Amino acid sequence: MLDDLTAAREQMAFSLGFHIIFAVLGVGMPWLMLWAEWRGFRTGDGRWTALARRWSKAVAVLFAVGAVSGTVLSVEFGLLWPEFMARFGSAFGISFTLESFAFFLEAIFLALYLYGWDRLSPRAHLLCGIPVAVSGVASALFVTTANAWMNGPVGLVEGPDGELVSTEPLGPFLAPTTGPQVVHMVLAAFLCTGLAVAAVYAVAMLRDPAKRDGYHRRGFAAGAVMGLGLAVPQALVGDWASRVVAEYQPAKFAAMEGLEHTTDGAPFSIGPWEIPNLLSLLLTFDPNARITGLDVVPPADRPPVAITHLAFQVMIGIGVALIALGAYAAWAWYRDHRRGAHVTDRRGLLIAMAAAGPAPFVALLAGWIVTEVGRQPWIVYQVMRTPEALTSQTGLETYFYVTIVVYLALSVALVAILRRIAAGPHPAPDRTPETRDRHRAFSDQWH
Amino acid sequence: MTTSDILALLVLAGLTAYTVLGGADFGAGLWDLSRDRRQRDLVVRAMGPVWEANHVWLIFVLIALFSGFPGGFATLSRSLTGPLSIALLGIVLRGAAFAFRQYGAPHGGPPVRGTALWGRVFAVSSLITPFAFGAAAGGITTGALRADGSAGFLAPFLAPLPLIAGLLAVAACGFIAAVYLTTDADRAGEPDLVAKLRTRALASGLAAGALALLALPLLPKGFLDRLPWLAVAVSVLSGALALELMRRGQFLLARVAAAGAPAGLLTGWALALYPWVLPGEAALSPAPSATAGLIAGVLIVGLLVVIPSYVFMIRVLRAPVDRTDAVTGVG
Ligand code: HDD
Ligand code: HEM
Ligand code: HEM
Repeated sequence: MLDDLTAAREQMAFSLGFHIIFAVLGVGMPWLMLWAEWRGFRTGDGRWTALARRWSKAVAVLFAVGAVSGTVLSVEFGLLWPEFMARFGSAFGISFTLESFAFFLEAIFLALYLYGWDRLSPRAHLLCGIPVAVSGVASALFVTTANAWMNGPVGLVEGPDGELVSTEPLGPFLAPTTGPQVVHMVLAAFLCTGLAVAAVYAVAMLRDPAKRDGYHRRGFAAGAVMGLGLAVPQALVGDWASRVVAEYQPAKFAAMEGLEHTTDGAPFSIGPWEIPNLLSLLLTFDPNARITGLDVVPPADRPPVAITHLAFQVMIGIGVALIALGAYAAWAWYRDHRRGAHVTDRRGLLIAMAAAGPAPFVALLAGWIVTEVGRQPWIVYQVMRTPEALTSQTGLETYFYVTIVVYLALSVALVAILRRIAAGPHPAPDRTPETRDRHRAFSDQWH
Repeated sequence: MTTSDILALLVLAGLTAYTVLGGADFGAGLWDLSRDRRQRDLVVRAMGPVWEANHVWLIFVLIALFSGFPGGFATLSRSLTGPLSIALLGIVLRGAAFAFRQYGAPHGGPPVRGTALWGRVFAVSSLITPFAFGAAAGGITTGALRADGSAGFLAPFLAPLPLIAGLLAVAACGFIAAVYLTTDADRAGEPDLVAKLRTRALASGLAAGALALLALPLLPKGFLDRLPWLAVAVSVLSGALALELMRRGQFLLARVAAAGAPAGLLTGWALALYPWVLPGEAALSPAPSATAGLIAGVLIVGLLVVIPSYVFMIRVLRAPVDRTDAVTGVG
């Protein structure tokens, strides 16, 4: 038996976790498609264009699931947390209002992109991809500002008795947490997309060595460069995020680090190990600095420590592992390139890339667990507690189970369909006369 | 006009757009129950490019409501938990099932096992959502709902008015969809489909009219007195005009007229309700004025960008293609 509060929280977490997997692909995939299509135009290499077309079909299915699961979230806000929406719906209203137009433009131009391959000139088609890519990033940006505001609410206008009378409309853009969260989220979307795509081609090449051809190599390379190339920036932004959390949400920070007591010269723990003084050094550049522990907040205001700490460790572990993989892949590419070979002939690298596909998604969910669970017991940090936000309706447990069943059924079907799309007839027309002429014509008008 | 009025008008505009455009997509699900394969293909071709953009109108309405009228959004969420959850279930199943079915056989090969099943899921779930939304509107009208949700999960369904309103919504969606699809079949040069869909348009149009008449005596007295008869007249006349135009084979004009019928009804209902969220129980109160003004401004500017983009999309995707396999294409 789940009580209503727990059921509502699990429901929120589950449906957000489901949505965000599609959302990040909706942010990243349009950029990969645009890149492939652009390369096809510039070089007349039909394999790039074929990749863009194949990807666009997968995006159509992913986008549909992303759109409906996002709608669930918007309605769930009200169904589960009506008190929260009544008080703060307008506080982050501007973020979501802008978001709705990003959705409109994304849906409209994606339709033009998907159904316009043979209706638009090549140049017009490419141009239609640009609003899709830009509005995908804008969606991620706007929605994250809303969440950042919940973590660091600003612009609260209080009446004479200290009660909340209104909020500044631009609050979500001014919150101290907005900068790092937004950048970290957008980078995470690109990391996830790139590595997922690279993993699909790595698996294909492992299963069937004949697939180490130009078409699959191009798909693999585009994804791997996008994913691995951003691993280092992502860690730097994560570091920035940690500093902001330490400053504005000390309880969350202490839970992330699993630090019970305020300590001078705090150690840094990773997995089973503990390195003395490192946490103080990392955070303040002074090995003996004092770090606030959980004991400074009353027990009723402390977030769950175990899960926040574990999730943080998982995210960092994956972040560091991806950096290492990126370094190895770059080195391997450089070696092979000089010898005239190709990195995809290395079985070990392909296996590593196949395994790295799901990793950033795990890090993504872990990161959100850090953010959301670490904020507890507040829904709006230090302004409103989560139980105060809950609906008065009961029996929320049932909703949760229905949601799980429906989403599981969708996931199974989705995987079947995507495999079907991936396994279609091999479309690698290496510069057929037809595509070449088309692309030539395009380049002529472009230059 | 106050900011609150402007915001309420924007919400109404979004709701009307969703009813007409989204309603046509839902209604297409009704006609997808057909055993005629060509009719089902027509539905896929007509809906494929547009349904997601049409669906965003619902998100537009939700967001405009909770940004502009946070209290009203919370009241509706509490009192309409039942219909909203059921509508959501329908939305999720319909959207996903449509995409699955459309891409189930992406290379012209045999469809993935279960694709036909998703086709059925699509059709059935397309009926659930309009019914739930219609029942929600009917439930609000009865005046039996409570702002704190204490009337219960099923309250919005447990009266004749909500049930008839739900059926009315389904019939109206079927009507708009049949009118739209007739035009598409006409353009595709399929005269027997045109004849079939035309009959369906007439039947569902008459059914919608009959249900609306049935609902009239069930309206609470207070509500009836506030009903703007002009809007109702617009609705009735557009419906009749659409039916007549369909009979004469003027499909394109019938499209415009058909949209007027649900739009008029919805506008009349909303004006009779305003400024209440739940009549006599909870009134609409806007967000703090600085926020409300900014949101109204962003909504208006956004619409000025989105509407031309939408029109551009329709014009491009309606233009004839030189290759018939363009939708599945190479790849
Ligand atoms: C691909 C995914 C991914 C990877 C590899 C990392 N992160 Fe992350 N992290 C996320 C994806 C993510 C996220 C998108 O899930 C979160 C949740 C909320 C947010 O804005 O970003 C997040 C949140 C998040 C937070 C909490 C922010 C808050 O509560 O406001 C911190 C402190 C870090 N991250 C730190 C790091 C560090 C030091 C990493 C280095 C190695 C790292 N992350 C790698
Ligand atoms: C704009 C973005 C977001 C908003 C407004 C938001 C809002 C909320 C709300 C209202 C709750 C329930 C109350 C609570 O337990 O704190 C919640 C919980 C939660 N959310 Fe978020 N969320 C956002 C983004 C995300 C994303 C993208 C994820 C991705 C996985 C996520 C993961 C969670 C989790 C794991 C919980 C459960 C916390 C718990 O059980 O203690 N959130 N969030
Ligand atoms: C609480 C939080 C959230 C809500 C209420 C929400 C709401 C929605 C809605 C209603 C849609 C459908 C739009 C359409 O029909 O096109 C959507 C899609 C989308 N959302 Fe979310 N969302 C949330 C969290 C997130 C987060 C954290 C991201 C960040 C990556 C995100 C990124 C996107 C993107 C890129 C899309 C486009 C559709 C796709 O590609 O899947 N959303 N969201």
